Amino acid sequence: MSGMTAVEKVFARACSRARVAPGDIVHPQPSRVFVHDGHVEGFRRQLDALGIDRISAPERVVFATDHEVVYLTPRAAERGTRIRATARDWKIGHFHDVGQGGHGHLFPMETGLVSPGMLVFASDMHCSNFGAIGAVPVRSGPETVSVLAMGSVWTAVPASVRVELRGHPARGTGGRDVGFLLARELARGPNRIDVDYRYLEIAGPALDAFGLHERVALCNSPTEIGVAGVYLQPSAALLAWCRERARQPFAPVASDEDARYEQTFVLDIEGLGPQVALPGSPADAVDLAEVAGQPIQHAYIGSCGSGLYEDLAVAARLLRGRRVADGTRLFVVPGTVEGARRLAADGLVDVFLAAGAVVLPPGCGPCAGGNLGPMHSGEVSISTAATNHAGRMGAKDARCFLASPATVAASAIAGRIADARELAGVGP
Amino acid sequence: MSPDAVRWRYRGTAHCFGDDLEHDAHMIPFEFVIRRVTEPAELLPHLFEAVRPGLAARMKAGDVLVAGQRFGKGKAHIQAYIALKAIGVAIVCESLPYNTYRALVGLGLPFMSGCEGVTGRVADGEEIEVDFGTGEFINHSRGTRHAYPPLPPQARDIIELGGTEGVLRDWWARARAAEHGGRG
Repeated sequence: MSGMTAVEKVFARACSRARVAPGDIVHPQPSRVFVHDGHVEGFRRQLDALGIDRISAPERVVFATDHEVVYLTPRAAERGTRIRATARDWKIGHFHDVGQGGHGHLFPMETGLVSPGMLVFASDMHCSNFGAIGAVPVRSGPETVSVLAMGSVWTAVPASVRVELRGHPARGTGGRDVGFLLARELARGPNRIDVDYRYLEIAGPALDAFGLHERVALCNSPTEIGVAGVYLQPSAALLAWCRERARQPFAPVASDEDARYEQTFVLDIEGLGPQVALPGSPADAVDLAEVAGQPIQHAYIGSCGSGLYEDLAVAARLLRGRRVADGTRLFVVPGTVEGARRLAADGLVDVFLAAGAVVLPPGCGPCAGGNLGPMHSGEVSISTAATNHAGRMGAKDARCFLASPATVAASAIAGRIADARELAGVGP
Repeated sequence: MSPDAVRWRYRGTAHCFGDDLEHDAHMIPFEFVIRRVTEPAELLPHLFEAVRPGLAARMKAGDVLVAGQRFGKGKAHIQAYIALKAIGVAIVCESLPYNTYRALVGLGLPFMSGCEGVTGRVADGEEIEVDFGTGEFINHSRGTRHAYPPLPPQARDIIELGGTEGVLRDWWARARAAEHGGRG
């Protein structure tokens, strides 16, 4: 009998079974259940209609307010009152209202609500971020209503694909760039593979140099091509960081030496330079040089993929003493309240404001459907958003390029897509 | 048969699409997704308007949507499937992503995936009959028939109950009965 992957071990533990195999239909018991603000009202309506007036294990449920942090319409304000009433009526254990916590794919790692080795259900696919600390998130989407009511929902154990990163990226190139390349190669490359509902376990020497923000960034783009999740084995330093803030005891796992993977995918990242995803999909990545010089009017740094303090600190380093180009507007969106406070305390909010950027409240920012800071017809944007299909951030015919925080900051300064490494006197 | 009972046998017009039919880009405007519209009446006029205007108005109960590989690829949204279910249209496709599979089971919409070569066995507008309980596929216009694997029993049980909502209703009724000493 072969060993198990880390993901299979976490599933087995959540099912109180010795082992599970890919394809098994199981009902895992989650350690946490995440519901994002846009989903609460619908779940409430569904359970109300069925006369179900309570939920299972509300103490493990988290409500996150991140997609609509600033109510821009009367409808949004109404939704807010319903979310608060529902949090009260259902006795939600961890209700993060407006101004509390921030992005539900980020703050739970900082506040220790999610720890390595935990299986969690969440209503939104970018819960895949939690794989960055060795947790195993499962997107339950609209069926999160079943998890709320009954405590679990039928789930197929995903097969794991091992991704081996060979080599190291060039200076100034990091998790986001590698993530774009990985998404492209998995989805469109000559050796492309079927990743539908596969868990990617990414390994390689480059990860040793990746802090949490680079690991989160690495999880982001592959999520958009249909994977079940992304798992990174946490380093000793990261485990220690998680232990400092954990709200509950946790037991990390690791894949067995003889674990069985559906296949192994090798990606050469030696010397990789900055990548830019073309409008349409995070998987349509090209070398920055191919699009350098493209004029932009809109730029944004933040989102679940690049909203941690360190992501914004990279941008601040480039923006210090510089100005956002005339005719370009730059939105900076800290992912978490904790991160925003650190940016303020360290004087980096002042750097953004002095550069002419607009600092928005913690949460998703423009990526949540373009409610906040949208684009007009014909405009061009470069951002660190999670995705960039037509209409994602406003007008349908606006074009959204995606890149790393460094590339977006350099581009906002230049008013066109630019390479941060070419900014005089700056080493990102 | 009660009016709410799930029908497993469909007979009607085939509406054929190729590979990679996406939910947001092709089946329903993204605007309805981001507004989280779930009212069939509001969704129906916009179903397929981007790729085949007028199709939604021609679809009728018993019709079958036939698609190639990766039906419903992209973000796992459900608005178009809510509208299809409201009309009474079922789905046969060559393959679909896991999240689309879940969405269809969760809505209680009969479908079959893994129907290899089905796009070659029927053309748009032909009359077909599909038994989603057994996998029988008949093209009446051509006088041909084919056997496909039906959904596994676990998925059919959920659809039989009416999807996620039916499962919840059933679970709650049993939970209440147990609480009130229903067994006595």
